[in-house]
Amino acid sequence: MKVIAVHVDRCTGCKTCELFCATERGSEGKTLLKAVQETPLPQARVRVEGGDGVSVPLQCRHCLDAPCLDACLTGALARDEETGMVWVKDDRCIGCWTCVMFCPYGVIYPWAERKMALKCDRCMHMESSACVDVCPTRALEIVEINQLGEVFAEKRRSAASVAAAVAGKGGAVVLDLAK
Amino acid sequence: MNEANFDLVVVGGGAAGFNAALSCRARYPEKRVVLVDQEPEVGYYRTLLPMFMAGKLPEEKLFFWRPGEGMGLEVRTNVKVRSLDRQAKRLTLESGETLGYQCLILAPGGRPVVPPVFERSVTPDGVFPVRSLGVAREIKAWLLAHRDIVVLGGGLVGSKTSVFLRLAGFSVTLVEREAHILPTVLSANTARPLQRHLENMGVRVCTGTTIDRFKADAAGAVKAVRLATGEWVPCGTFLVGIGSTPDVGFIRETDLMRDGELVVSTTLQTVDPAIFAIGDAVAIQTPDGARAHPWTWPQAVAQGKLAGTNAFSASPRPLKRTTRVNAQNISGVPLMILGGPGVGSSIEARPGPGEGVWREFFLDDSRIVGGALVGDIAGAGPLHFTMANAEDVSQRVAGLLAPRTRAFRPSTWTRLGQSYRARNFAVKESTPC
Repeated sequence: MKVIAVHVDRCTGCKTCELFCATERGSEGKTLLKAVQETPLPQARVRVEGGDGVSVPLQCRHCLDAPCLDACLTGALARDEETGMVWVKDDRCIGCWTCVMFCPYGVIYPWAERKMALKCDRCMHMESSACVDVCPTRALEIVEINQLGEVFAEKRRSAASVAAAVAGKGGAVVLDLAK
Repeated sequence: MNEANFDLVVVGGGAAGFNAALSCRARYPEKRVVLVDQEPEVGYYRTLLPMFMAGKLPEEKLFFWRPGEGMGLEVRTNVKVRSLDRQAKRLTLESGETLGYQCLILAPGGRPVVPPVFERSVTPDGVFPVRSLGVAREIKAWLLAHRDIVVLGGGLVGSKTSVFLRLAGFSVTLVEREAHILPTVLSANTARPLQRHLENMGVRVCTGTTIDRFKADAAGAVKAVRLATGEWVPCGTFLVGIGSTPDVGFIRETDLMRDGELVVSTTLQTVDPAIFAIGDAVAIQTPDGARAHPWTWPQAVAQGKLAGTNAFSASPRPLKRTTRVNAQNISGVPLMILGGPGVGSSIEARPGPGEGVWREFFLDDSRIVGGALVGDIAGAGPLHFTMANAEDVSQRVAGLLAPRTRAFRPSTWTRLGQSYRARNFAVKESTPC
């Protein structure tokens, strides 16, 4: 199962991913210029949240035991057998927002104007994900979920080498992995 | 006599029972599973019935399973269970058939409560409980000629029904016995904007009163009902949504009951480890000794899936959450219910901005125990899990009341804005597929 991994240390909070997600997945025109003129305004399935110098793009984690799948009152939320992604069947969604209440990460977004729940499906029917393609700092990356361990190990190694270098200069440090 | 042996027998084909049967089939494909239900049809979304009877949803979209879809599931519909023999591990149906089981899952669900006004007399035509698909079909047909509707019970079902019928152009009066609508789950503060919204839509809301008399015409159909205030309200259709009671029927004579309740552990097992019970009929005994009654759709599905996998598991897993959380889009006003206040809990509330927006929590020892969000549901999901995980929120109350997240930003609402929302942001009308 492929998922979108986020390198929090690389995100600058530029929100390019939001713009292109909304354009590619939410608009009729499929170009930014046309998208901004549409009513209702296209909405993104990834949102950059943060503050205090830290920003992080939030999108669906496709939980293995997804609470939203249990919560859906209409059968609009389903898991794709092939890719393992959780997605919304637009024609079944009535906009009751029960899934919004049951998402522990707050990454299902109510789109009141269209009366449907918006969530990331990793653009599973496209060649690649819009947000990953456009991220200027490569903060978003598509990885195989069982390779995530390697990504984390790499992060730990680089963090450890930084800590060792700083400690070598004679100072104790508190590592902030978010930076 | 007809006799059959199964690995798993599921009694009740609602959300809980059906998901139990399906998840057991998915987890243990070699097991023989049978589902027994007293309704003629199973496998439909009960929560969509108000939409269906208002003509806003085609019937085919009500179903999540149709006979013949297989999944290796045997289904016996239109039949009740007569008795249960725990020693012989055998169920007898009213059709005379007996079903032997290795494991039994009871999901009998609820039975609509009958209002006292009809208890001592013959119920006239045009009076319906809002509960099952069969009755919903009758209501839909009946409504064509009887457009004055009185809905008794201002709970979630009653409010939802009133809203959909009003949007479909019917004249609707909602009668609630308590001082405000949704009395068990909302405080007066959070109910007020919602009630005003209903009134702006044209629903007449009568709170603090009930129905004490009715008149029927010569053909035996209901013609008018009298409020406790003495006022007669003309009414061709009378819908009852004053809650449900556990439909324990044949279980009552067994010794599975404790103090009148069907009590299960967090692994959903009754006192007999081979018998599970789930859904709207059970009380869950939590480790701290309290009994939870989380009778909501998401809980029914979660319990069903868990019971289905626990049925033949050597180490049954406990249910993760017992929160009674619900959400609804009441015609453009999003509503999130976290739960009612506990005894002695403090209230943290933030009204506005604008009319019709109110966020409120009940805190007990710095932990959220309940509350509601009306109009502005920003950060609702993380908030729900903050409550479910019993996190200490003493430092975060302001942030939770007014989160900075941009997931959902309401505009400042005026009365005009609200009626605009009711017209434009109401739950989507579904097209035939």
